[in-house]
Amino acid sequence: MSIYLFQILNGVGLGMIYFLLSIGLTIIFGLLNFVNFAHGAFFLLGAYLCAQVHIMTGNFWLSLLLAPLAVGFLAWLVEKLLLHRTYHLPHMYQILVTLGLALIIQESSIIFWGPVGKNVPTPEVLQGAVTLGSFAYPWYRLFVIVLALVVALILWILLEKTKFGALIRAGSENTEMVSLLGVNIFKLFSVTFGLGAVLAGMAGVLVAPLRGAEPFMGTEALGIGFVVVVVGGMGSFVGALVGGILIGIVQSLASSLWPQGANIMIYGAMALVILLRPYGLFGRA
Amino acid sequence: MKKRAFAVCTLALFASFALSVLMTISGGGIAGAAEKKLLFVNTTPLSGAFAEYGKSASMGAQLAVKETSKVLGREVDLVTIDTESNPGKAARKIQEVIEQKNARFFSGACLSSEALAIGKEVNKAGGVFLTPVGADEVTGAECNKSTFRWSVPTHGAIEQTVRPLAKKMPNAKRWYTITPQYVFGDALLSNAKKVFADMGITHVGNSYHSLKETEFSGYLAEAMAAKPDVLLLLNFGNQSSATLRQAMSFGMKNKMTILVAWSSGLDQFRSLGSEITEGVYWGAQYWHTVNNPENKAFVALTKKHFSTNPTYPLAADYIETKLILNAISAANTDDPAKVISRLEGLKYKGLTGDEEIRAFDHQVIKDYYLLLGKKKSGMKDGDDFVDIVSSGKSFVSQKDSACKMK
Repeated sequence: MSIYLFQILNGVGLGMIYFLLSIGLTIIFGLLNFVNFAHGAFFLLGAYLCAQVHIMTGNFWLSLLLAPLAVGFLAWLVEKLLLHRTYHLPHMYQILVTLGLALIIQESSIIFWGPVGKNVPTPEVLQGAVTLGSFAYPWYRLFVIVLALVVALILWILLEKTKFGALIRAGSENTEMVSLLGVNIFKLFSVTFGLGAVLAGMAGVLVAPLRGAEPFMGTEALGIGFVVVVVGGMGSFVGALVGGILIGIVQSLASSLWPQGANIMIYGAMALVILLRPYGLFGRA
Repeated sequence: MKKRAFAVCTLALFASFALSVLMTISGGGIAGAAEKKLLFVNTTPLSGAFAEYGKSASMGAQLAVKETSKVLGREVDLVTIDTESNPGKAARKIQEVIEQKNARFFSGACLSSEALAIGKEVNKAGGVFLTPVGADEVTGAECNKSTFRWSVPTHGAIEQTVRPLAKKMPNAKRWYTITPQYVFGDALLSNAKKVFADMGITHVGNSYHSLKETEFSGYLAEAMAAKPDVLLLLNFGNQSSATLRQAMSFGMKNKMTILVAWSSGLDQFRSLGSEITEGVYWGAQYWHTVNNPENKAFVALTKKHFSTNPTYPLAADYIETKLILNAISAANTDDPAKVISRLEGLKYKGLTGDEEIRAFDHQVIKDYYLLLGKKKSGMKDGDDFVDIVSSGKSFVSQKDSACKMK
């Protein structure tokens, strides 16, 4: 297998993580028209809760179940108590409130778990790698690709084929009309916000065995999440999937072609998309 | 008579006022000198990406101050400045403490860039600064009269890791490097290339990455394609930890030997766990099991105060602070110029054994260690992550040094 083919495969794996990271962000923006700067902090919290559950039980699978739910519950609670008061305000206020929330979560993590990062071992059944010619690809990364695909499918069914999904889509088009039809739009908003946070938490759990849990991983994740959302198009499910994979492949290929610029290439790709399609690949004007 | 009495009273009042003014200007006079504290500044990142390092480092400075108790009969007032891992902000805060509090004695810093910025400010004020950072420039091309460095720079770190490992594995002739692209990484890489050439090693490839990189799978794929015998990691801190975690998931630890030339020591090993540290070679400035009386006493002191083994940043900022405080006592003055004279050429029993401060470049001559990660079953306690494979001193000679002392 050539190095470039391998880098593309690796990029798809990376892209699926980026998809999970950004899909919550795009759903929240699409329905609520709400800019959530705390999304990276939910990702961080997912990784740390994964490490905590692992320390207490040694069971990664339990953490994959519990940590995203706990993050989702916290997000739902914060939305109920605080964030819904900012929906009618300009985006600047939402950014300030969620940025403050992100800092509180980040600094609380340092107080609770300390400034030293936590390691999360790869689950035993997924240790090792599959050999592809001169290369080896970790079973764990293949598992992440498959799980992300399953999550993408479930989300697509939820958004496109269920009444809940229809309400979300309708709400994103015309909030007042949906409200007039007797739907409790605020309840819908709360659940959607929680769902977005569950997905960020899940991405955090899945990344923990690859990168560990570190106090500042949320900031970088937020940056990548926004890049994917901008590339794919604000509020677009397909956009998050395609954008995530595209950014993953660009980053991975650049590691071979221009290693020192691999990180910058992500933002270069975003700039190019904005120039050619200002609303993103699948965004609407 | 009344006039004379009035004149005497006026004179007495004036004299007492003049005396009080003089006492204030001279720092409190004889009684005040014992009360005025000696200001000492520890600079370290307490926020941002390197806060983990700064927390341990500030504990080291606190420990040195607690242990020293009084200097020149005065209590030490330890002020910790958060550099925020930002050279610009660090330099501004140092200017403030120099101008507003007349600070002259400094230890610490984590990044070479911030240490270079701090060193320049301290040098302008004619103070003393002892730092543990790695870039060769600190005691090389950018050396100055005020700045001293405790840690071994990149030349020694490579000489004491790559060379002994290459001797230990004579058949490992293909080496691949992963390097952060900035002054510190480039210095490690150029030193490594010299050793490769010297020992007949083929450098089969290098991947540069940015200082903000967290995803290393692409670089590891490049490394796998080059089929090296040894993967040499020249990044440090969270970046080398992330690279190792990802290398482990690619199964690279079973296919090649991995050497991390510049580790953070115990903090990094605790964060990674023995599953990852096992079988990996590590370069280190300090290790708490080094067998000498000074280090044993220091480990006992750290355990007494903080109930933990000392980490590298804790050890570094402890010894830097202690060296300066001891030099002030030995010089019997807080005049920085005389303290600098005391430090230059000083030989002492340090945490790594016999240590010496070279007068011409202000570099401390000390050991650097090559460590090997142990199996979990072989660990005697929770911090017993590694065995010391070898140690030694390697420094550029005065003839080859770029330091022209200003």
